[in-house]
Amino acid sequence: MRKISRRGFFKVTAAGSSAVAVSSTKKAFGMKEFHGYPNSMGVLVDLTRCIGCRTCEAACNKEHGLPEPELPFDDFSVFDQVYHDGKEKRRTSDKAFTVVNRYNPKASGGEPVYRKFQCNHCNEPACLTSCFVNAYTKTKEGAVIYNPDVCVGCRMCMVACPFLVPAYTYESALHPQIKKCNFCYDTRLKYGKPPACVEACPQEALTFGHRKTLIKIAHERIRENPKKYVDHVYGETEVGGTSWMYLSGVPFDQLGFNTDLQHHPILDNTKSFLGFVPMVLGIWPALFMGFHLLAKGGKGNDEDKQSNK
Amino acid sequence: MKSRTIGILGGIILALILVSAPVFGMDNKPPATVMIDSLSHLFTGVEFDHNLHVEITEGCSVCHHHRFGNGVVDENCARCHSECQGTFSPTCSDCHVSDPFTGKHIREMEANPNRYHIDIPGLKAAYHLKCLTCHIKEEAPSECVDCHARTDAGNRFYHSGKYAPADGDKNKNHE
Ligand code: SF4
Ligand code: SF4
Repeated sequence: MRKISRRGFFKVTAAGSSAVAVSSTKKAFGMKEFHGYPNSMGVLVDLTRCIGCRTCEAACNKEHGLPEPELPFDDFSVFDQVYHDGKEKRRTSDKAFTVVNRYNPKASGGEPVYRKFQCNHCNEPACLTSCFVNAYTKTKEGAVIYNPDVCVGCRMCMVACPFLVPAYTYESALHPQIKKCNFCYDTRLKYGKPPACVEACPQEALTFGHRKTLIKIAHERIRENPKKYVDHVYGETEVGGTSWMYLSGVPFDQLGFNTDLQHHPILDNTKSFLGFVPMVLGIWPALFMGFHLLAKGGKGNDEDKQSNK
Repeated sequence: MKSRTIGILGGIILALILVSAPVFGMDNKPPATVMIDSLSHLFTGVEFDHNLHVEITEGCSVCHHHRFGNGVVDENCARCHSECQGTFSPTCSDCHVSDPFTGKHIREMEANPNRYHIDIPGLKAAYHLKCLTCHIKEEAPSECVDCHARTDAGNRFYHSGKYAPADGDKNKNHE
């Protein structure tokens, strides 16, 4: 019933297109370039260290009280699961905020390479800029968090995210929710602790620290072992930089990474997209904010919001 | 002149430390086994057979870097440490802390901008990176449970054993 195709969505909104400018959309337009908070934390994922033990997945499940997995976390047959005619491997979902996939790239002579995957916590998140009710926040610690209380369930963020991360949960039709990795913000990051997966990883394939320092560490690892690593830190500049970054021993495109991403924020695209249909979107916040304020007694979500000069 | 005095003073201090610290190969023998049990919540402790590994590796510095043993193996270490004759303590936990990601430790590592070693794995990773890399290369046992018997809490954590999901196929959740 809630399933509206993208086309249908635009048709519906275009019908009621009297331009109502609401502050939240305005903010998205006016946002200047932003290169992340200076003391933002991050995680460096070194794929040459990952052994595919899935301990990080188990830790995430426990930390967030996620539903029982389909198979045990020590069942490695999940690496053989493929979807869409074998073109796609497992993806993050509302029941798994991180997944580890196995690849057998040419560059390693078919030797397995494992890739952990989760929200990359972009410096300028497309999910955030595409959301017209400001359900997303980039915290000063670097986490991109989401507030289900203001979400209207339009799923724009799912379309906007360059890494296809936000997942939609259908568990409650009345309270639609996006589910994704939140960098363990509520339970750990804001208290200065590393995320659960990082703490659990036996190999320190995940290194937690200031993003600035992690970039130094990453380049130093490459410099000390030029034969071991591809000379690129994925996420240092992709889509304007991400808090989670990756080192790899084989070319990133052989591990399912999108290597065609722009090196400036997706925001620019979102902006021109928004420029294309401003009045279409204009009506939505008004409508839903109205509903929402009625429902919530006017409570906003303004704390800790990324500064929008 | 000045640097010489410092050199002599340093020498005396070093000598004092060397004398007061246990020195392997002089009278203390390396331990026959080492108990590794910092993860003993999810896994039972591992009794590491140090003697066996002394026999089968090409020398102490394969694992102990330049800290101990027979010269430096890693060429990156050798850039600075080629003259190192080993030091007074070869213990892993001297450099590899058990909690590498606390705010305090991160700040300590960043405090001196000239610090070279800004990327030291924690103790758990130091073990695994050394042990597993070799075990995989030499085709020695390399599954987690080959070394670590799991506790009940461990099985619960991995949703394994008696905590395994009842119906393997239910709620396939890929869109
Ligand atoms: S990876 Fe996707 S969901 Fe995560 S911050 Fe970036 S745009 Fe948002
Ligand atoms: S816990 Fe670490 S080594 Fe194991 S699969 Fe996750 S990232 Fe890889």
